[in-house]
Amino acid sequence: MILSLAWKNIWRSKRRSFVVMSAVAIGVWSIIFMVSFYNSMTGAISRNSLQHDYSHIQIHHEGYLSEPGLGFQVKNPSRLLEFSSQISDIEATTGRLIVNGMVASPKTNLGIQVYAIDPANEAAVTDLPSFIIAGDYFINIKRNPILLSQKLAEKLKVKVRSKVVITVQDLEANIRAGAFRVSGIFHSKSPRINNGVIYLRHEDLSKLINLPDTAFNEFAYLLKDNESLIETKQMMEAKTNNMVRTYREIAPEFDMIEEGSAISKQVITVIVMLALLFGIINTMLMAVLERTKEIGMLRAIGMFKRKIFLMIVLETFMISLVSAPVGLMAGFLTNVYFEKNGGMDLSQYAGALEQYGGDAIFYPQIAQSTYLLLMLVVMMTALIGAIYPAIKAVNLKPLEAIRKL
Amino acid sequence: MKVIELKNLSKIYNPETIPVRAINDVTLSVKEGEFTAIVGPSGCGKTTLLNMIGGLDISSEGSVEVGGVSIQDMNESQLTAFRLQHIGFVFQAYNLIPVFTAKENIEFIMVLQNMDAKTMQERSDDLLDRMGIKNQKNRRPSELSGGQQQRVAVARALAARPKFVLADEPTANLDSGSTEDLLDIMAKLNKEEKITFIFSTHDQRVIDRAKRVITLEDGVIISDEHR
Repeated sequence: MILSLAWKNIWRSKRRSFVVMSAVAIGVWSIIFMVSFYNSMTGAISRNSLQHDYSHIQIHHEGYLSEPGLGFQVKNPSRLLEFSSQISDIEATTGRLIVNGMVASPKTNLGIQVYAIDPANEAAVTDLPSFIIAGDYFINIKRNPILLSQKLAEKLKVKVRSKVVITVQDLEANIRAGAFRVSGIFHSKSPRINNGVIYLRHEDLSKLINLPDTAFNEFAYLLKDNESLIETKQMMEAKTNNMVRTYREIAPEFDMIEEGSAISKQVITVIVMLALLFGIINTMLMAVLERTKEIGMLRAIGMFKRKIFLMIVLETFMISLVSAPVGLMAGFLTNVYFEKNGGMDLSQYAGALEQYGGDAIFYPQIAQSTYLLLMLVVMMTALIGAIYPAIKAVNLKPLEAIRKL
Repeated sequence: MKVIELKNLSKIYNPETIPVRAINDVTLSVKEGEFTAIVGPSGCGKTTLLNMIGGLDISSEGSVEVGGVSIQDMNESQLTAFRLQHIGFVFQAYNLIPVFTAKENIEFIMVLQNMDAKTMQERSDDLLDRMGIKNQKNRRPSELSGGQQQRVAVARALAARPKFVLADEPTANLDSGSTEDLLDIMAKLNKEEKITFIFSTHDQRVIDRAKRVITLEDGVIISDEHR
């Protein structure tokens, strides 16, 4: 009956209850929206870096980190290529020869990183052909084709089929230069690649610097899924004496992005919950003060303090129990709407988002467990919010209430 | 059998600044089945006396025994339990729970007493019947007249099977018809079931029906008339 009394008490002031319930529902909805938004943004940044730049796992010579360049090529590269057939979790493999150099056009020259690649393998690992926005992917230019990012092409003031000169150092530190023709211009989802990487064929660079076709200083592996990352790494380590690293070890910014996102989500949740907390306290305090006489009467006729406390807590709890699922459902439906209607288009901010490797279209993402967790957090907030008004109610003196009768 | 026994009871407000003796050395006993009215001018101490009998206020001096049990030294929780088990309250402004129906208002106090559902059901139906408000049992207080609300309040007070009922100006807000009806019901309960009623009142109609009239003035009993 106390449950029934608490439930009926909620509806005594419909407008007030509706306001606080709306506040809870909107708060919950906003948290879901923000969490989904953050997940989508950080997910896109991580996914783009992972799929189009770092890949899941990379292998280098152990000396490569201290002195990146041609001096530390991977040991036994043919064996590394065979991993694809030996480890079932590997989706694709590519070998690269990476060297720092200069690219010169008739207008200017720039310092860049040269990625000498096998076009077919690179396409399988980083999906590079999908980013070509002009020209083609090493098809129509037969001799010394090169791929430039849109950004570099603009800086160099070159177009498709323009000629550029690439200058690199060979193993003996001799300067080697070669003329290349722009086969394609790409716009990658990785800011790092857009800012300073050019692609050319492995065979062309090998000829230029007199290295064999089997010379590589980096191998990148795309896995079928992220779950097997550590297991696959360990399997690789068992099969090679090169240095095997996951993308998290190569680029700590992945962890930083995720931690930053987690902190942001927590801060937003805490702010919204604090707002709800004060809203709940205020509403319930008003409800208690309005019912001073009635609560006093209940105490006078023999209702124990603990039951008065329980009644107020139940009222608060039920307000949240009704409104939180409304907010959760609204959040869920908002996400479904964006999923079914091509995501949230933030093209007007595309430039800024691309600076961080994000996508202009957001597809809200949220783990199912977040709904449950949020429900628990709201319930906890409601319970905390109920304490002060409930203490106020409990401390009312029945006699003082009786005197007001 | 004495239901209430007050010995040298005093209530002093502001004892350390400007002491005001609301009740001054009152000695009084009420037997089971009495129909007692405490009367006197406003401010004479009627409500204060009723509050001390009901365990809502603590005396400054003297003792209060209810059913042979001293309530002087009880803590707040013990007093609450005592009120729940032994005292029925009827208030001037009815003070029903507005969100509950008449029946629920009556049953609520039995819920607080952890009475079983069947007994509770039977007792609330019986009380509604005796109060003549059976047809209004599913109505909320706002849908009842003042007289009907006060009957629900009396039924609620009786639902807990108290040792006695304390009624503070129970007819103050009622018209004459409702007052007579309510007094008829309470007199009948008193006569047939020996329920003890103690009223504080200004209402001559209540005074006329009382079997004992205690007159207070300045916190002192100036007359105690048994009829």
